[in-house]
Amino acid sequence: MTISPIDAELLRNAMSSIVDEMFISLMKSSYSTNIKERKDHSTALFDRNGRVVVQGESMPLHLASMLGLVEIVLEKYGEKNINPGDVFLSNDPYVGKGSHLPDVAMAAPIFFDNQLLLFVCNIAHHADIGGMSPGSMAGGMTEIYQEGLRIPPIRLFKSGKLMEDVMDMILLNVRVPEERRGDYNAQIASNKLGIKRCLDLIEKWGPKNIDEGCDVIIKSVAKRTRKSVSNLPDGTYTFEDIVDDDGLSRKNIVLNVSITVKKDQIKFDFSGTDPQVEGNNNVTMAGLQACCLYCIKVLLDPDCPQNHGMLDPISIIAPEGTIVNAAFPSASAARAQTGQRIVDVIFGALASACPENIIAAGNGANTSAAFFGKSKQGKYYVYLETLGGGAGGRSYKDGSDGIQIHMTNTSNLPIEALESEYPLMIERYEFVKDSGGAGKYRGGLGIRRDYRPIKHDTTFSGQGERFVNKPWGIFGGNYGGTGNFSIIQKNGKKVRISNKPSALKIGPNSVISVVTAGAGGYGNPKNRTKKQIKDDFRSEKFSKAFLLKNYPQSKKIKLEEN
Amino acid sequence: MYVGVDVGGTFTDIAINFGDGENVKFYKLPSSPKSPENAIVLGLTEIFKSYNILPEKIVRMSHGTTVGTNALIEKKSGKVALVTTKGFRDLLELGRQTRPTVYDMHKDHPTPIVDRALRFEINQRTLSDGKTKSKLKEEEIKKLAKKIKKLPIDCVVICYLHSYAFPSDEEKTAKILKTLLPEKVKVLTSSSVYPEFREYERFSTAVLNGALITILSSYLDRLSSKVSEMGIFSDVKICQSSGGLMSSSMAKKFPVRASLSGPAAGVQGAINRSVTAGFNNIITLDVGGTSADVALILDGKPMEVNERLLAGYPIRIPALDVNAVGAGGGSIAWVDKDGLLKVGPQSAGAEPGPACYGKGGKSATVTDANVFLGRLNNRALLEGRMPIKESLARQAIGSLAKQINLSKEETAIGIIKVACSTMVKAIRSISVERGYDPREFVLFVYGGAGALHAIEVAKELGIKQIVIPPSPGILCAEGAMNSFLTNEFVQTVFTKLDEEGISKIRSFREILKLKIQKWFSEEEIRKKSQEENWFIGARYFGQNYELNLPINFRQNDKELIIKLKSEFQKAHESNYGFASDSEPIQIVNILVKGIGKLDRPKLPLEKNGKKNKPENHRITFFEKDKSFKTPVYKRNQLVRGQTIRGPAIIEQMDSTAIIFSKDIGKIDNWGNLIISTKG
Repeated sequence: MTISPIDAELLRNAMSSIVDEMFISLMKSSYSTNIKERKDHSTALFDRNGRVVVQGESMPLHLASMLGLVEIVLEKYGEKNINPGDVFLSNDPYVGKGSHLPDVAMAAPIFFDNQLLLFVCNIAHHADIGGMSPGSMAGGMTEIYQEGLRIPPIRLFKSGKLMEDVMDMILLNVRVPEERRGDYNAQIASNKLGIKRCLDLIEKWGPKNIDEGCDVIIKSVAKRTRKSVSNLPDGTYTFEDIVDDDGLSRKNIVLNVSITVKKDQIKFDFSGTDPQVEGNNNVTMAGLQACCLYCIKVLLDPDCPQNHGMLDPISIIAPEGTIVNAAFPSASAARAQTGQRIVDVIFGALASACPENIIAAGNGANTSAAFFGKSKQGKYYVYLETLGGGAGGRSYKDGSDGIQIHMTNTSNLPIEALESEYPLMIERYEFVKDSGGAGKYRGGLGIRRDYRPIKHDTTFSGQGERFVNKPWGIFGGNYGGTGNFSIIQKNGKKVRISNKPSALKIGPNSVISVVTAGAGGYGNPKNRTKKQIKDDFRSEKFSKAFLLKNYPQSKKIKLEEN
Repeated sequence: MYVGVDVGGTFTDIAINFGDGENVKFYKLPSSPKSPENAIVLGLTEIFKSYNILPEKIVRMSHGTTVGTNALIEKKSGKVALVTTKGFRDLLELGRQTRPTVYDMHKDHPTPIVDRALRFEINQRTLSDGKTKSKLKEEEIKKLAKKIKKLPIDCVVICYLHSYAFPSDEEKTAKILKTLLPEKVKVLTSSSVYPEFREYERFSTAVLNGALITILSSYLDRLSSKVSEMGIFSDVKICQSSGGLMSSSMAKKFPVRASLSGPAAGVQGAINRSVTAGFNNIITLDVGGTSADVALILDGKPMEVNERLLAGYPIRIPALDVNAVGAGGGSIAWVDKDGLLKVGPQSAGAEPGPACYGKGGKSATVTDANVFLGRLNNRALLEGRMPIKESLARQAIGSLAKQINLSKEETAIGIIKVACSTMVKAIRSISVERGYDPREFVLFVYGGAGALHAIEVAKELGIKQIVIPPSPGILCAEGAMNSFLTNEFVQTVFTKLDEEGISKIRSFREILKLKIQKWFSEEEIRKKSQEENWFIGARYFGQNYELNLPINFRQNDKELIIKLKSEFQKAHESNYGFASDSEPIQIVNILVKGIGKLDRPKLPLEKNGKKNKPENHRITFFEKDKSFKTPVYKRNQLVRGQTIRGPAIIEQMDSTAIIFSKDIGKIDNWGNLIISTKG
């Protein structure tokens, strides 16, 4: 049979059902909260050539990390040396196409009648992968060796047999090894389930049709993505933006992109970008690729299924040794910070190419607050959360206030749960007034969240971005507000601290106040309607002074108190 | 006699069970969305007249309504003000700080129910252990009352942090406001609506409840007065999202509980029918015009969830776990950007409807494919009331076929296969993905378009038996008649699963016991009809989700701890694939589900009689190149015990069933059509 558009849709539907089942299975049986609660994992099916055919809905940063492993396994071992029952493992950003060490990828081949036909693969963020600090995500490190155990593409199973020596070595290098063993087992089980379901599918469709079907599914996405790209006007689009710092030695790091669209091809060139940094916010190639794919997807075709075909029209040039294609042995645990800013430069560049879909810069950060301490009852605790901020103004409506944007979408922990479990109190959780950049459509507001330790001293560490360099507006829209970390002392005095503070002691008489960035506006503020300005005032999201300063027309509006 | 009424967007369905074990009558008429009570009264009058029924003979009227949900969707719900803890005015808008879809920057959460200008902060703060950090001051509330008095507000909702366990500040505030605000302004507290921790979900549930209170109260008052004018003296019972019933006075207090009652009533009807027919493990498939709803029933009990979305807002209410996907009779077939054939989620709806309705619809829908293939009647549907233009279906299919370069037959078969694959995926997600093997279940199908697609869905899942009730189109109305009164009381208690924890739980049990007794007496439920089922919500320390475990308070503390520990490990193992002996277990809440048993009318037996021959024959395609001259039967002419060998078509007023060749259908004692597939 030749695969018709109906067959391809049926096969894709069946495969995505398998990938979903693998995803749920991995989520349910893992131990790490990252996987269980935050769904920081992905599952996919690959064809025998190492191309992703179907990938489930997943974290944007996994878009590309998934793409690499099978390819590299095929390259390293050769098809001839891959056998039924083999399981491959890898996490290294430099030799395994990973994006940071805690993301462990696992792939297994599927054979039918002794023929290699497909691969199943999953990737999961482990709660610990060894290294200098618990959780393997902390700042202050300058080399990947300090961040954790590096696993090149290796076999964890050989022809169905677990390589116990390998497993022993891995587990010896991570914290709470029994739980981590559970995570590895969950990944193994998820792949096994995928293999079982795929074998049923191959039985039903026949190996030839599966092979042909995979090709049709990939090609259809390639065609679709090329078509989307060709809707952009040809030309070269450039933009530059500045990352605050690396937390150690460097400040104001330049990100630069030059994007060339020619018919249905798009080239991202990051040649003007600054060198890699000593801190841990370096991005490796897989992370960069994920950012580019994310931009293509959200700007051109949000409903596009994710597979290898998306890469078809895309080429990326990034000199090795820059912060967007960091070379060995740089540290990359906090790659999401810079990832957010890569999206910003790409958006900045493509603004004029797709003005309808573009949004202004927002909270280009993955601002995190981590607390470590010993409660009055003598119990140690570690608590980490990440905060959203403003989303950029859009071509026809305002940006959202206080929300996760782009490469991250993690939820908050309910305050009532947090306060019941940790000796911390949240004193406020609210929007930051006046932090949304003015525009025809304004930017979203940042978030303020204040923490007070209860009856003990806590140790605070944080990672902030867009704390210095403001989120920009577009097409005449203004800048949004920046974020900051500060300490509110007993006498009410507020003292700003560094953007990436590490292990600060805070007592119960002080409060840590985290403010995240707002977002830039879209379009000239003078085109904002009177009704919108009145609403800005009435909702008390903006002050009278801000409105008068940013919107000339507001002088003619009667702004009334509630 | 018992009456069940289900009001949908398009039709109002009425079912009457005479309670004599012989007669159930159904009536379907167009809804009257502006005043839904009008269609109900009209329908009841008609049906009373047709069968000479005396209104005073009605002992119970059960009613599923979407009045509240519609008001939310149309943004016509009541105006709500929020009073909350200082520092947390934006909590309702921040939600969980996540965006609704990862890759779509243009999709937003719905705007908060309470306008930011109507969210007032009060200098008040209770800590998680109940200690007061900032004391509530009466003066501040009085001042606020003056301010609120001037605003056009229907309801004030008070939401303070940690009120699930320490409601006194909320209650105090409510008391002051009630005395100072006009009587028409309702005042309610988050702890009275759903006293469970997790502030955003609790606040959201409470403000939605507040937004619906006025609208549902006035609707129920209108309905009650009209119905009693007719001479029906029984209280109108309202269906809840959990499938249970509540009195109309409860519904006026907790309108949010009725919000997702439609699908729940259908599932209730499915359970009633299938259990009577001897099937306890079923998967339900309800296919309507725009969507397919699926649910899983194990041992006669539906799966439950306690969080759902209502018009995009999270609500914590007891609800059935019904999974909906955008595949129904009206779903539009289209060619996606990548050239693949897609079906849904867009639907042609009732207007313009499928192309073959001849009301201006141009796109090919699932219904058009069924008409083209001869599966649906190609002259008229709804017993002739809805004329069908086959040529328009052919045209629509033809233009789609051209786009993908396939024959019309292949395209039409493809549309149905793709729609079925969406339904299969929905069923897999509630069965396979949760550890249940669909092959151990029967497929129970209803809704107008369910029976057309049952066999293809069942075969794809390896299901061998299909049950189709005698009137698939009005199962929700029938289900409403067969439910019990239910209520749920919950109390959050953070404690360890040990002797101290158990004694804490026992003392909270006394509080809940009083609440449930009060409910039994308010609803006039006699002792022997009362049932209480007690549960605790437990998790490992540090986890973010809990599992409900049944708890038997007659056991002594030691036994109880051992039992609960082993029950928890078992439940954790089956839900999450692992369990740990060493990790400490935390109890987070205690829960009691109360049931007030009502007498339920028996399902009537199907008539015996002479087997009727098929009414006629028509050419029907079962595969792209396989068509038969297929016998068409009228459902109301089939009799108990009759066997129909496929290929066959069985038509009735609002539904059509297809039996493929080699498959066999049989009418059981209660008039259900049971199809056995040959793999």
